[in-house]
Amino acid sequence: MSGRFGFLGRRVLQLIPVALGITILVFFLLHLVPGDPARQILGQHYTPKAAAEIHHKLGLDQPLWEQYKIFMDRLVHGDLGDSVYYNQSARSLIAERLPATMFLIAYAGVLAALISIPIGIIAALRRGGVFDQATRIGTLITFAMPPFWFGIILLLVFALKLQLFPVSGYGSGLTDHLWHLFLPALTIALAFSTILTRTLRASMLSTLRMDFVDTARIKGISRTTVLMRHVVRNAIVAIVVVFGINLAFLIGSTVLVENVFSIPGLGQLLVDSVSSRDYPVVQGTTLVLAFLVVVVNLVTDVVHAALDPRVTYE
Amino acid sequence: MADLLDTPTTSPRRTRRARPAAVLAALAMVALAAGCGGSGGSTGAAGGGAKADTLVIANAVNVDTLDPAANSVNESIWMTQNIYQRLLQPNANGTDVIPQLADTWDISDDGLTYTFHLGDHKFSDGSPVTAEDVRYSIERSIHYDGGWGFLLEAVKSVEAPDPKTVVITLSRPHAPLLADLAMYAYAVVPEKLVKAQGAKTFFQHPIGSGEWALTQWNKGSDLTFKVNPYWSGKKPNFTTLKIMIVPNDNSRVLLLQNKNADIIENPPGNLINELSANPDLQTYLFPSTRVDFIQLDQHFAPFKDPKVREALNYAIDRNAIVKLAYSGHATPGSSFMPYKMQYWNNSLKPYPYDPAKAKEILSQSSYPNGFNTFLIEVANDVAGNATAVVIKSDLAKIGINVDIKTYELLTAYGKEDGGNSQMGQRYWTNDIIDPDEVATFGVDPNGGANAFSSYWGDPTATKLVHQARGELDPDKRRQMYEQIQQIVYDQTPYLILDYSPYRYAAGKWVHGFHATPLGNYNLSLETLTVDQH
Repeated sequence: MSGRFGFLGRRVLQLIPVALGITILVFFLLHLVPGDPARQILGQHYTPKAAAEIHHKLGLDQPLWEQYKIFMDRLVHGDLGDSVYYNQSARSLIAERLPATMFLIAYAGVLAALISIPIGIIAALRRGGVFDQATRIGTLITFAMPPFWFGIILLLVFALKLQLFPVSGYGSGLTDHLWHLFLPALTIALAFSTILTRTLRASMLSTLRMDFVDTARIKGISRTTVLMRHVVRNAIVAIVVVFGINLAFLIGSTVLVENVFSIPGLGQLLVDSVSSRDYPVVQGTTLVLAFLVVVVNLVTDVVHAALDPRVTYE
Repeated sequence: MADLLDTPTTSPRRTRRARPAAVLAALAMVALAAGCGGSGGSTGAAGGGAKADTLVIANAVNVDTLDPAANSVNESIWMTQNIYQRLLQPNANGTDVIPQLADTWDISDDGLTYTFHLGDHKFSDGSPVTAEDVRYSIERSIHYDGGWGFLLEAVKSVEAPDPKTVVITLSRPHAPLLADLAMYAYAVVPEKLVKAQGAKTFFQHPIGSGEWALTQWNKGSDLTFKVNPYWSGKKPNFTTLKIMIVPNDNSRVLLLQNKNADIIENPPGNLINELSANPDLQTYLFPSTRVDFIQLDQHFAPFKDPKVREALNYAIDRNAIVKLAYSGHATPGSSFMPYKMQYWNNSLKPYPYDPAKAKEILSQSSYPNGFNTFLIEVANDVAGNATAVVIKSDLAKIGINVDIKTYELLTAYGKEDGGNSQMGQRYWTNDIIDPDEVATFGVDPNGGANAFSSYWGDPTATKLVHQARGELDPDKRRQMYEQIQQIVYDQTPYLILDYSPYRYAAGKWVHGFHATPLGNYNLSLETLTVDQH
């Protein structure tokens, strides 16, 4: 057990330099991008004088390294600064938007697993058959379709024609969230399940070729038992890893899907804030997302090790 | 190999791990069940509209703040105009001001003292609107950093001698004062509450004396309003107003087709004809104060030559721009002032498209054979991108080679303001009904905006802008503004292209929706009706 906790402790400690690196990258890259937040605030009433007042108010007239110092000083006190655009603290803005995105990612993840696990297994077992071929073509198509387009198609069919799901929004309460986010989650899940299905199929095929499978069968264990206890169990490890690594893909998809389905999530906030050069919000959102990726990677490693005893906590 | 064989046979661990999988599966079943069950809920939700008790409007842009002093985004401004009241407000056509909080007002003979007499109005928490609230709100907005104080620089003091009287004293006559006070930034907020809660907290759940009281604000998603129980004006025909924020154009159209929204803002221009053809739907094109133009930066030598600028005016086919960029739903432009607004010069006509004449005028300039230049456009602005293509093709015909440079919005604006932009796509919209604002930004070189970043200036026009601001006789003001427009028309510091309208689409079950040229629709919500649908 101590090995496991030591491993966790080390991984958490490793987060610190990663987080620091992220702050530096985000802060300086963002300030390299041309465009002035004062221009966004003033709109057509931009005058150099009014812009200078805003720069002073926001501290943008200070040297960049000084601004970074202030940003870091606030950050260690848990303060991400105030949004330039929303007259609100960046932390509260992010806190308002985070649940919808987390819900969407988790929902999409579950749907992707539900779609890809049975299909991947069946396709591997019927290798070369009609189902397998259909799966390979189908997954290629869903993967190739851009989420913003595919989302609109789902809306046309399920929201407009069949009127089964709402066109937009997040809803309130668990059931309402599940209903509102079904189409957006499905949009992401279908694209994501391509990777999972293909990985699982390939992993199943290579496991099926292993000697221990034959050995188990020779020992007289039934086909189903061999399949479930030996083959699937080994093959599934691969998709857990792929699942974790591809979280960034999921987050990227939410940005587009949140736009199509008007979900008040972090992805939309990030896009809006980049457009308006809302530095504190972009920095805060990026940090939260980066942290999410790091944490999920950590969880993936832990789960991987738990599923596969060949992986140690060293 | 032995390891591989041994590993999967530890059954206790396997059964433990089977549980999460079962939970996931169950969750998914719930999701699917909710999906099917939810459709019933959908019909129920739409049923709220069917009773004509709720009006749902889907806007394209998020609400950034409900603090009137900080407002600058149209979709947020329209919300604050539902929540708060001002001393006065523009009428439905944007041609004059009408009473709001102030029933009447007196202006001293020297034009320096304005006395406003307040009617009986209450905030949605039941407390009365006092002159002190008005004084506090106006002063707060004047002193708000990066806000709208520049409009009221002539104001010397705002006083509240008694709870029903507000006295504004000016340091010099300022003709646009009433129009300025009718602007959203000078909305009245309850002083005590703002001070007690702090502005940041108060404006998350603001209280005003307007027709609609905000009851719920799901950031980035929707806002719900109920009729202000203490509203003294006409009670609306429905009790709930819901604003949805739906940035995606197609999703907004689907919402309307699905009858989940009653009105949608800004349907895509290329769908206007299709939506109009739908027997259940209607489209609105309300005159706006938007003027689309091309700035001609005079730091670029050719644009200093008046002949070149005149040639450009004849070279551009404004009808083609209107057709291509707005599917015909706009008006070719003539004056730099918003279409048919106060003191708009009716005698100016759009420059006709005449490439031969353009070529002839150019041949008399210092650049008889044309020149190379560039045009800055904003990425993803469909109408703007179409406009740029027309300009490039038209100017090529007279020997001017235009390189289109596309930038993301803020980068484009930054480059256009910078003083080395050559040609740049711009637009203007009024915030007040008075032309003083647009004349200051577009004509006065010391107005702060370098005459729409053209760095042009004309001593007569500048003098007239200053005189008109202090002139209280409407007839004389009209003459001055008409002369200013004529000068800009003749000298062409920027190319006026077109006047584009506000676009809305609604179900035919909605009657009486109307947006003013400033974009607000709070007046029409007082009389609007929603049929069963």
